[in-house]
Amino acid sequence: MSNVTVNPVVYEVIRSRLLASTEEMRIALQSVSGSPTVTEASDFFTGLFLPDGSFASMGFQVSLQAPVVGHLIRAVHDRPHLEVRDGDMFMGNDPFVGALHQNDLQLTGPIFADGQLIAWAGVEAHVTDIGGMDFASWSPRARDCRQEGLRIPCVKVVEEGRPREDILEMILTATRLPAQLGLDIRAFIATINVARSRIAELAGRYGAGTVSEVMRLMIAQSERRTRARLRELPDGIFRATDFLEHDGEANRLYKIHGVLEKRGETLRFDFSGSSYQAPGFINCTRSGLEGAVIGSVMPMLAWDIPWNRGILNCCEIVAPDGLVVTAQYPAPVGSATVEAIWTTTNVVSALCNRLLACSKSYAPRAQAVAQGTMATFNLGGRNQYGEPFGLHLMDPLAGGYGAFASKDGYDAGGPHNSPMASIADVERNERAVPLFYFYRRLARDTGGCGTFAGGASAELALTLAGVDEAEALIMTHGAEVPNTAGLAGGLPGATVVQRWAEQGASEGVLDAAARFEMLGPKPGLRPMRRGDVFAVSWQGGGGWGDPLGRDPDAVLRDLNRGVISTQTASEIYGVSVVDGALDRDSTEALRASIRQRRIGVAMPARTVVGEVLLPIGPALTIVRNAEGDHVIGPSGHVLSSGHTRWREGAVSAPVQADQLPMHVLHAELAMTAWYCPVSGILLALDIHRADETPQHDVEIDLAQLTAPTTAQNVA
Amino acid sequence: MSYYVGTDVGGTFTDMWVADGSGQARVFKSPTTLDVMTGVLNTTRLAAEGYGLCFEEFCARIVRFGHGTTVGLNALLTRRAARCGVLTTEGFGDTLEIGRMRRLTSGLSELEVTDFFLHNRYDPIVPRDMVEEVPERIDVNGRVVRQLDETQARAAIARLVAKGAQALAICTLWSPVNPVHELRLHELALEAMPDAFITLSHEVSPGVGEYGRMSTAAANAALGPVAGRYLSRLEKELQAAGMTVPVLMMTNAGGVLPTASLTDRPAYAIFSGPAAGVIGSLAIGEMLGEKNLLATDIGGTSFDVGVIVRGRPVMRQEISVAGADIRVPSIDVDSIGAGGGSIASVQFGALQVGPQSAGSMPGPACYGRGGTEPTATDADLVLGVLDPNNFIGGAMKLDGEAARRAIHDRIAKPLGVDVMEAAWGIREVLDAKMAALLRRATIERGHDPRDFVFLANGGAGPSHAWALTRELGLPKFIVPAAATAQSAFGCANSSLGLTRESPVYLRAGGRAVPPDSQLQTVEAELARLSQEAAKNLESAGARGDLVLERVLSIRYRGQTNTLDIVVPGEAFGADAFLSAARQFEQEYEGLFGRGAAYSAAGFEVVGARVTATGHLPPPRIAASGEAMRPAGTRSILFDLRAGPVEAAIWRTSFPPPGAEVVGPAVIEFPGQSVVVPPGGVARADEMGNLHVSIAA
Repeated sequence: MSNVTVNPVVYEVIRSRLLASTEEMRIALQSVSGSPTVTEASDFFTGLFLPDGSFASMGFQVSLQAPVVGHLIRAVHDRPHLEVRDGDMFMGNDPFVGALHQNDLQLTGPIFADGQLIAWAGVEAHVTDIGGMDFASWSPRARDCRQEGLRIPCVKVVEEGRPREDILEMILTATRLPAQLGLDIRAFIATINVARSRIAELAGRYGAGTVSEVMRLMIAQSERRTRARLRELPDGIFRATDFLEHDGEANRLYKIHGVLEKRGETLRFDFSGSSYQAPGFINCTRSGLEGAVIGSVMPMLAWDIPWNRGILNCCEIVAPDGLVVTAQYPAPVGSATVEAIWTTTNVVSALCNRLLACSKSYAPRAQAVAQGTMATFNLGGRNQYGEPFGLHLMDPLAGGYGAFASKDGYDAGGPHNSPMASIADVERNERAVPLFYFYRRLARDTGGCGTFAGGASAELALTLAGVDEAEALIMTHGAEVPNTAGLAGGLPGATVVQRWAEQGASEGVLDAAARFEMLGPKPGLRPMRRGDVFAVSWQGGGGWGDPLGRDPDAVLRDLNRGVISTQTASEIYGVSVVDGALDRDSTEALRASIRQRRIGVAMPARTVVGEVLLPIGPALTIVRNAEGDHVIGPSGHVLSSGHTRWREGAVSAPVQADQLPMHVLHAELAMTAWYCPVSGILLALDIHRADETPQHDVEIDLAQLTAPTTAQNVA
Repeated sequence: MSYYVGTDVGGTFTDMWVADGSGQARVFKSPTTLDVMTGVLNTTRLAAEGYGLCFEEFCARIVRFGHGTTVGLNALLTRRAARCGVLTTEGFGDTLEIGRMRRLTSGLSELEVTDFFLHNRYDPIVPRDMVEEVPERIDVNGRVVRQLDETQARAAIARLVAKGAQALAICTLWSPVNPVHELRLHELALEAMPDAFITLSHEVSPGVGEYGRMSTAAANAALGPVAGRYLSRLEKELQAAGMTVPVLMMTNAGGVLPTASLTDRPAYAIFSGPAAGVIGSLAIGEMLGEKNLLATDIGGTSFDVGVIVRGRPVMRQEISVAGADIRVPSIDVDSIGAGGGSIASVQFGALQVGPQSAGSMPGPACYGRGGTEPTATDADLVLGVLDPNNFIGGAMKLDGEAARRAIHDRIAKPLGVDVMEAAWGIREVLDAKMAALLRRATIERGHDPRDFVFLANGGAGPSHAWALTRELGLPKFIVPAAATAQSAFGCANSSLGLTRESPVYLRAGGRAVPPDSQLQTVEAELARLSQEAAKNLESAGARGDLVLERVLSIRYRGQTNTLDIVVPGEAFGADAFLSAARQFEQEYEGLFGRGAAYSAAGFEVVGARVTATGHLPPPRIAASGEAMRPAGTRSILFDLRAGPVEAAIWRTSFPPPGAEVVGPAVIEFPGQSVVVPPGGVARADEMGNLHVSIAA
């Protein structure tokens, strides 16, 4: 493709410069933007792209957005009448072109050197309002994407360096927050300008061909490293399912079903078993599905590999049209990012970590699902300064991070799709918008229990201040679905709790007698008056391993920090605390009795001895002897032979939502626990449709498992 | 004879810079000790010996004692800080735990942030069981919406006392707007713990944003008992030996203050070492009449850059220490993991250098301490830049064979090139990274690096400077006479300085002028801050020529980042506002390009700051120097294509005025080697600074 050869030193020098330019793009955007989603929470994307739209570098913001601007670039190429010239910039936000939803405004500009198009710079950010039937452009009432705000497929907004003020004015006319969006668009233009001047300078020095060749090599390099990583992992088939409830119209349950087939150096994700598209705004288009997959594969399997298109080149995505993850025009997709896409990231995370948990080298870093939902609280109206305002509260990022196989998850650790997420100070929010917080703190019993516990979620309660009324938009999934699934016997994190107390506060104090109503997942738009209280806690991270395996001292620490209740300590963890001190003897007895209660009379162990091939999480092992391959439990007892569908040999029991702390379960869902029939150790807790049986989540290709897999460094 | 003394406590060495009355300056170094103070006293003894005096005689002749440290206070903070409790508003006791989620990625390099397994490196600065909540609440306007419950407050304080709190940070919501509850809690706390070190958040960090304010207050309180004790013991010890002047402590913001003025706010000096380095560069700039300076420092593990524009160091409002956001005005020192110890490796066919460092144990392969990974120092040795027999003035022999072997095995072989080319590649990659930081520090702030004078400090700075200046298109660089002890030099050459700030708030709609009442509030705050700053600086010993600078932090409505706009005086009417807004837009367009300004967004003023500076007479510096001695030649690779050339080697500890060396050459000092490339010329000025011009 190219006849330019680049030596390793020049490669590294140019590569560092390109990464530095990407970082400068971030700084320009965050400095100029007026949207708190950008300045405080990093809900945006900056990147550099090859002429064909493949991303070569990106900032460490929302990983789901990685492929998005590439679609816009390809859309420009598909429209010859657009005539790409130096100094042009193109804007888009159409989910049927490549955006995740209309709020994701993108701008991209070509970079020319020596009269030749060598790269594109792209930027994307979530803007609070882009028009549509309701404030914030995502409405539970929408039945059609044409109700969800202005759709911009691909428009030239800067022509050879000169902004097309007529078009920009048209776009600002569509939004309810023109001052904020105006500043954002300036920020976009500044961001592209930064990239353009840096890359042009680089091309002037090293030659246009060299710079674009380095970008191609960066992608090839990441692809090579990803393939090498995949060769270290066992082949097999992995399954995971997650759900989202309420489509804006009714409380229906939607399934996102993922099958990962890992063969050699490739990953094949099949979502064919997912639900059909919804009448309401929870769907995503195929670009959303792609964003979810790449946005999760990168942090889960390519944590130390530079993030670019090369990683995606190792992934195949399969899904027929018309599913909730491949919605067809004109399906509404307003809340795609926080609904279908977010839930898909949970599934992809669960799939990748089932794979890691079966790896000799990487098992300690396998992790349970993090922050399985991004609840929405939007507020609009006139603020305390008499100006029109719009708030997209980013505090819900502060859910719990999933537990690892070797350590606890992080409290308020956030989702895995945003490596540098952050939330604003309470004081900053109270100054910027007419809100008053009663508390913002860690929520008790929200982290999924486990040998290693999921991080606790934060929670908050607030009312209006400085104004008498405003309009609130409240919605989430995961109020009745425990999306932050545990792994290897760890329990899921708590479900979201959204509560409302009409006139529940006076003069800065929550009324002791305030009556809170449960809002359920999607109460939607509602008027909020001064004194009305909204209270919410989000999902904690999933747990890892049987809770009875947790170090009792760690349980005592959790108790002292206030992140678990005494009831959870005794009932879930089997830890006995008397007068603030551990009672180790009665803890042992308590734990033994819980294990015994799980399985009744223990069955006699049937054990085998053999060569250890692979782990499946902390409790199960694949061993090989003369008779074949077996999955054995912690006591050496054989659960399955000839395949890894170990559930066939385990004891199962239904689990009710009220047996877990802080859990509400959708009417169509059920939970099933799987125990080792000899030891009573919890091996897995499956969340599944009540009318379906749990699936086998790990089927290792035993035939491929000839010798211990080792890392191969191929130069 | 009288002595001007500057000391700086670094991670490995405690440096001392001394100028005697003749203007001759010398540098002394001894190892840093865990208690910090012993290292300072040891170095002082060393200096006394150097001048042929006994410790007491030397102390008695000290006319200025400037002091700075980063690692010292940092170590105290992370390892041996006092047990500290926090009192805060009910409902917000987890503020440090949640840490705005920023704590999660604090301290991670750009290669590490994508790995969630590495997140959450630092625990909260105060453990949760030492945080107590108190029923009370003040709103955004400073109105008490919930009275302080004194009974419960007393109980909370009692619980902290029972848990052994020796220090206490009090941080309630909106205290900078109305401190009444923090003040009352202070009184209540004093009843129960009269000897405790207590920090009120609105005093130490009066800005909006509770996380930074609480972190700062907690760090300050935890540090207070130890830092205060150490500084007053140091002063006592030196004064007992006969020193008649106070210890002047360098602050983060770059002015010195007597330790007595800092005992209640040690957080203001937590970053004093790097700040002192930039102040040292500023002092050199003043001597040379240069106002735009790049103050660079290349050590073993990091490359630090401070930028001085029009005679003022670029500042930042927040620094991160051990995961905590410390929000006090500080000189902005940008840093990346690139230095002599940076490890080179080949991964999947690509050459990478840093950010991992071999440190000093095992150190570079050529140290012969068991290190097998090649580092930038190994590359310098192979390229001929370093002399194996004259490293750190001959104090350490370098193993050239070990360096070659490491580079051959780990770099040259996998890349299929020879050792020389591999070593060259390591240098190129590392220099490119450093150049990128210099670009970021200048271009990103709207400046052209070519408008700056490049000052090369640190052990490895003077040997890399020629490549960096060439890369940035600069005509020359300067190696300051005290390049290996620039922070110590800065401590002895700083003015008195302190900053007072206030979270004033003013909001103006698109193109509108804010109402008079708001403007008057700003005016009153500017007056109050000016008065307070002047009074405090006078009590710190400033005489006569006291200079006040007033700054407003301005942004477009809704933005987070602000620009600092200097306002001419305290009067702040509509005209002053409009002129500040105009100046804001001018600087803004300078930063983000023509057309980026957007008046329609409206303005916010989110803070006022007044800096008071009191001039101190600088030590006289006039070098008599020590003649350059020729020490043969060495083959050095300056350009891969041209191949190695024979370079003249010169040695001196302090170049005499007017001395000149033509490149290719290396001028070896006891702690550094100045590389003069072919076509370059190095010339010493009358203060012992070396000016190295580079052929275009």
